[in-house]
Amino acid sequence: MEPTRHKTVTEEAGDPITRRKLLTWLSSFGLFGSFVIAVFSNLIFMKPRATYGQPNRFGIGKPEDFPSGSRLSLDARRVCIVREGDRMAAISTTCTHLGCIVSKSETGFSCPCHGSRYDQDGNVTGGPAPRALPWYQVSLAPNGELEVDKDIEIDPGTYLRV
Amino acid sequence: MSDENNSTLWTTITRLPENAWRSVFRNPLPSSDLGRASTSFTNFFLHLHPVKTHRHSLKATYTFGLGLIAFFLFLILAVTGVLLMFYYVPSTTQAYDRMLDLRGTVAFGIFLRNMHRWAAHGMVAVVFLHMCRVFLTGSYKPPREFNWVLGIVLLLLTFFSSFTGYLLPWDQLAFWAITVGTSIAGYAPLLGKEMRFLLLGDSNVGQEALLRFYVLHVAVLPAALSLLVAIHFWRIRKDGGLSRPPEEDELGTPQLQPVPMPLGADVAAATAKASVIAIPAIEKRRYGIQGLVRGPFTKVGNVPDRSVFSWPNLFTAELLIFVLTVAGVLVVSLFFNAPLEEPVNVMHPPNPAKAPWYFLGLQEMVSYSAFWGGIGIPTIEVLILLLVPYLDRKQIGVGRWFARERLLANSLFMTFVIVNLILMVIGTFFRGPNWEFVSPW
Repeated sequence: MEPTRHKTVTEEAGDPITRRKLLTWLSSFGLFGSFVIAVFSNLIFMKPRATYGQPNRFGIGKPEDFPSGSRLSLDARRVCIVREGDRMAAISTTCTHLGCIVSKSETGFSCPCHGSRYDQDGNVTGGPAPRALPWYQVSLAPNGELEVDKDIEIDPGTYLRV
Repeated sequence: MSDENNSTLWTTITRLPENAWRSVFRNPLPSSDLGRASTSFTNFFLHLHPVKTHRHSLKATYTFGLGLIAFFLFLILAVTGVLLMFYYVPSTTQAYDRMLDLRGTVAFGIFLRNMHRWAAHGMVAVVFLHMCRVFLTGSYKPPREFNWVLGIVLLLLTFFSSFTGYLLPWDQLAFWAITVGTSIAGYAPLLGKEMRFLLLGDSNVGQEALLRFYVLHVAVLPAALSLLVAIHFWRIRKDGGLSRPPEEDELGTPQLQPVPMPLGADVAAATAKASVIAIPAIEKRRYGIQGLVRGPFTKVGNVPDRSVFSWPNLFTAELLIFVLTVAGVLVVSLFFNAPLEEPVNVMHPPNPAKAPWYFLGLQEMVSYSAFWGGIGIPTIEVLILLLVPYLDRKQIGVGRWFARERLLANSLFMTFVIVNLILMVIGTFFRGPNWEFVSPW
């Protein structure tokens, strides 16, 4: 069968971009692009810019409130305030495994959810926890109150002298 | 029809109830095969079914009605869920009190909550058993690959619905199970932390998380489930009905005698047209019934296959399963109350903090490694399940339980099921405080 003139042209010229093809590509691209933008806009919408929960920086009281040698777990804040002599530190009590609150034990901390165990400084001594408990920055505010900032992790063993 | 035009006012009035009834139900209760077919496809709910159903699909010991039970449990969940919404407030300060109100002041409140809770547990179990049935009868093979994939997605949506649901009472189980569950999401590579933050709307489980889970639970997930269930059902028919062994379609000598039943006036034209449609439709039986019901005809009489009319065979079976499912949920809800633990105390996780039974296998794996137990292995399992029908395509052992030709596939699947069950049992009975090994005896 004799090919029509139109067919011969398209086949021999390789892939000439006809107006129809170009418009199809452009509109497909436009539709798909709009879809992707819509999905991302929705994700951006879903990600809150402001949260309503607890602030990550908070005051915990004056250094005198913590006697030397005390280890006080502030469960609502999920930190344990440690004072040894004139050195103070804040160790996280959120288990690094799956976010349960670890409780103080004789040897350090232990997690009730999946049995992770930590020593006094938060190093993992057993269980599934992948990392040591982080230490947070403790600073002395101008009004003489101690302040913990959970956004700033510091090296374990770094103490604030009071 | 013809006397409509010369009816008097009196006859119009006296016939009004009958006319109104017949405007809704086009057919009287069927007494003939024509009526049975006509009833099936003039009723919105019945026309979702084929006019005729293969005998093999009606065997109780083939399907155990598991898909239908899952669907009816979903209906019960939708109805009781909407009712519970009238009294529930997704607020951290009110949610738990509302749970107590359901117990104390709302009429039937505790009963509806029981029904919702036990139907949810039942749905998880039955959807899983339904998947086992489909696998062990080789029913995922072509042309039903995509419906298997839809089924896996429906299983995951069922899990996610129950996961979002149990934050809502805002009791200790709710809070700590979601804390643990969303922390698992945080272990996903690259986007884990982002996903967790999107899901919770905050860095910890709190008011934002409760609101988000509520919206997911009452709007997003039911809508997604409904849509996919509809496609799942539609695909059953488009893929040729329920799977059955090829022997079931073999007959001695097919007597190809479609008897056209004209509904209108032009009988002769209908007869000619019906035979044209019917014959090729029967030879290629997969779409046979679809082909036959086009136009005002139906195939009745000497049908050369092993199917029976859906009215009443399929519909009574469905009604029976519906009644039994509702009765089962009612009885369980009468005798067992849905648990409600202490109100949330963000400072004291219960020890041990356990998820509901169907997630305890996962929790057991998580206690060895959060990434592998919570993300790695489950992802691999789901991927393998999704790929199964594209890897195992040979048309052998379809439509029979535990077909010998499928020994390898079935053994692998049973291993997968049993390992998961063992992990679940260990997590449920053999784990005590600090997730240490304890003996239940």
